[in-house]
Amino acid sequence: MTDTNGSTAAQSAVKDAAPGPDKPVVELRGAGKSYGNIRALHGVNLTVHPSRVTCVLGDNGAGKSTLIKIISGLHQHTEGEFLVDGEAVRFTTPREALDAGIATVYQDLATVPLMPVWRNFFLGSEMTKGPWPVRRLDIEKMKKTADEELRNMGIVLDDLDQPIGTLSGGQRQCVAIARAVYFGARVLILDEPTAALGVKQSGVVLKYIAAARDRGLGVIFITHNPHHAYMVGDHFSVLRLGTMELSAARDQVSLEELTNHMAGGTELAALKHELAQVRGVDVEELPEEEDLTAPVATPKDGAA
Amino acid sequence: MDRAFHPRSRRVAPFFALAAASALLIAGCSSESGGKEAEEGGTNASAGKADTPKMKVAMVTHAGQGDTFWDIVRKGAETAAAKDNVELVYSNDPNAANQANLVQNAIDQKVDGIAVTLAKPDAMKDVIAKAEKAGIPVVGLNSGMDVWQEQGLLSFFGQDETVSGEAFGKKLNETGAKHAVCVIHEQGNVSLEARCAGVKKTFEGETENLYVNGTDMPSVKSTVTAKLKQDTSIDEVVTLGAPIALTSVQSVDDAGSKAKVATFDLNKELTDAIKAGDIEFAVDQQPYLQGYLAVDSLWLYKNNGNYSGGGEAPVLTGPAFVDKDNVDTIASFAAKGTR
Amino acid sequence: MTQATAPAASSSPPAPPATQKDGRTAQRSLGRRLLARPEVGALIAAIGVYVFFFAAAPSFREAGSLATVLYQASVMGIMALPVALLMIGGEFDLSAGVAVTTSALTAAILSFQLTMNVWTGVFVALVVSLAVGAFNGWLLIKTGLPSFLVTLGSFLILQGSNLAVTKIFTGNVASDSIADMDGFDQAKSVFASEVSIGGVDFKVTIFYWLVFAGIATWLLLRTKFGNWIFAVGGNKDSARAVGVPVNLTKIALFMGVGAGAWFVGMHLLFSFNTVQSNEGVGNEFLYIIAAVIGGCLLTGGYGSAIGPVIGAFIFGMVNQGIVYANWNPDWFKAFLGVMLLLAALVNLWVRQQATRR
Repeated sequence: MTDTNGSTAAQSAVKDAAPGPDKPVVELRGAGKSYGNIRALHGVNLTVHPSRVTCVLGDNGAGKSTLIKIISGLHQHTEGEFLVDGEAVRFTTPREALDAGIATVYQDLATVPLMPVWRNFFLGSEMTKGPWPVRRLDIEKMKKTADEELRNMGIVLDDLDQPIGTLSGGQRQCVAIARAVYFGARVLILDEPTAALGVKQSGVVLKYIAAARDRGLGVIFITHNPHHAYMVGDHFSVLRLGTMELSAARDQVSLEELTNHMAGGTELAALKHELAQVRGVDVEELPEEEDLTAPVATPKDGAA
Repeated sequence: MDRAFHPRSRRVAPFFALAAASALLIAGCSSESGGKEAEEGGTNASAGKADTPKMKVAMVTHAGQGDTFWDIVRKGAETAAAKDNVELVYSNDPNAANQANLVQNAIDQKVDGIAVTLAKPDAMKDVIAKAEKAGIPVVGLNSGMDVWQEQGLLSFFGQDETVSGEAFGKKLNETGAKHAVCVIHEQGNVSLEARCAGVKKTFEGETENLYVNGTDMPSVKSTVTAKLKQDTSIDEVVTLGAPIALTSVQSVDDAGSKAKVATFDLNKELTDAIKAGDIEFAVDQQPYLQGYLAVDSLWLYKNNGNYSGGGEAPVLTGPAFVDKDNVDTIASFAAKGTR
Repeated sequence: MTQATAPAASSSPPAPPATQKDGRTAQRSLGRRLLARPEVGALIAAIGVYVFFFAAAPSFREAGSLATVLYQASVMGIMALPVALLMIGGEFDLSAGVAVTTSALTAAILSFQLTMNVWTGVFVALVVSLAVGAFNGWLLIKTGLPSFLVTLGSFLILQGSNLAVTKIFTGNVASDSIADMDGFDQAKSVFASEVSIGGVDFKVTIFYWLVFAGIATWLLLRTKFGNWIFAVGGNKDSARAVGVPVNLTKIALFMGVGAGAWFVGMHLLFSFNTVQSNEGVGNEFLYIIAAVIGGCLLTGGYGSAIGPVIGAFIFGMVNQGIVYANWNPDWFKAFLGVMLLLAALVNLWVRQQATRR
């Protein structure tokens, strides 16, 4: 615990000083969502500041996707408040959210695989030239801009005409992030961007999350991997069964604590023993039951 | 949600058409020539009506949807039904199994008589036997010349396709044709093949078959053109349906061929083409008569006990030739859809 | 722990050197890239079929024969274009074949029954055709059913209405001839005239076909809308997520098929004077075949507008070539099937060569 904080405490201190989390761009106050009788989300507080990465963690079914859908305009909240720049809003389409500067990059539908990279980059916001009957795509300009923007984010591609499906999963996520950044997103929602990726590709994506943050965007990073979250996150919220189990800034929580909250304490320990039976699963880093007693008993856990 | 399943285009299309058209009509956009106004002038001959008790007759044919020929058959049947105080139940399906099912349906309805086509006799055999067992008189029309007797039908009204093909071949000999191509617009149709076979039998020149897709006119036109170009010795195009004949006239023109067009079957436009000399002649099997006689014979059988052909011979409705000499008398009937 | 990458995360993006390549992004050779175009396989197959019949059928070699082949290909090809665009957009239209007949019948019956200038009928038919397309698209979006099912429904509705409405108005199963009505000759010169080049008469549909193909290509590759077509066919949800008006695009594509049906319907009407109400059934598959031979993916998201042009040309060549070669007509359909399969296989082989690394 101490050695992890050693390298990151300095960082967060620097960040706290620099841009200043003066006004949140997006804020949820006691927000919730019910589908008929079923309450998918309840009493969620979340703030997103510019140049900050807010991580939302949770197991499958914890309410992460419902949360994204509310913020990205696919669904509407049924309780609490949703504020953008301090004003209450209620988006009815993804387009409205986009117009408010909230861009969402979905893990599995970030791109159209058979289309060239540059067409994907400008999809839905194409550059055109010429008067109406012959208004056409400004292909040269789009290719040039896409190349520049991707380079700015540190992505170098040899051939922008290749179908984006030929890129690796990580590269595709990165193009989608670069696209969101270019089109003036102030808040970037990343839905499990590392879920289907290998270790190396995940690293690439995390790097671009940091890059987006450094360009002044507020990032909502949805994941169920606390290790990934802890590498780039400034604030951590853990969802569990539709409610907020933990909400803490980076200096208030350690990676181990986060991991335990995320997985649900003793359940994880039990899991460890099961996993130990299975060959090829490394359980060394998982906590033993006795290690858990302290963090699970912390007052924050009372929310569950 | 219910709205989504209404056949909306059917309702909307004519409505739109009418609305837009009437707007334009007011704008004075009407045609000075042709159209319905020019056509309306003839009088409808009205016949008397029998005062016999109401009876129910089912007509079950192997016609496909929207075929000119079968439409005329049906008109004949409807006219006879109206005259004889018969309630006519018309149904059709080109699939033999389905057609047999429709006959069963008629039996279930306890009709007083069934008129049926036997395009695929074996498939119909059992169900016809059932009808006879139930005491329902059955007559045949159009197809089934060879089998109507053995299946115990009362009478048969039609044209022997082979006979009419042979007559067609003989007529071609008179015109001096040397090389004919017989255009079959439905591959595998027995009666169409029989017609071409009949032509081949009696025609002294060379005859070959050509298959075209009858539901796609540009394709018919191109294929006939291609054939005429491929073999320039062809001097006669024999078609087996009126619309195919009219399209073939254009093909002959396109191919720059000297071939003449002659056809089986007749319709309104075809009589005009015969008048204009575009089509040499047509052989008509009088579908109207087939439909009319089939229904009328069931009425006669039920009320008077008469039956045509004495159960021995079929009643032939064709072949009747239509050419430039007699087309004027026939044209007016064709326009009414009775020839 | 895995803090090794943490510094990278905090420092500004390191603008990696240009050497950051993995094997996946290697530049493909020009030849390979050319072969990867969706229509190239079809083009090679078309050349093969042409050479084959050129050798096998003497009468196929004449210029007039080419005009005949092109005519059949053009009528089919004009419809294959919007059908291909719709397929790239990820949908089918099984009603495309009978929609042609609906359009022609609407114009013919309306003009005749109301004794109006035929241009009135032509105009109303356009409105009806576009409405049928819009209806298909609207129903697809409203119900969320697959287009296969929705358009199968409208196919049956149109087929039935073609017959029933025609019978109601004309008492027959074909429309009345409108050849002697006002405006007919004018309309015929627009939709069904001939152009003589070097003594050979080419049907005007051939030129419309090529012009429409040019417009469709431009639309597909050079406009916003074209980008959207690829996107909604390739991944509808991604497209929606980045703000592409998916529903609008789909409805517009269906209306494009309606516009094509209108044009071909007008050609049928003005070149054959009357229309049978049972025509067009089954042609919808020919349009789809032309598009698939031309390299459009059945699953959407990939294809071109030149592809279906070549596909229709192959179909026309095979169809007429068998007649020019004077092969036994009993085998006609079998020959047709074999030739089409061969063309499709050549196409497939070429595409595999192109994508092979």
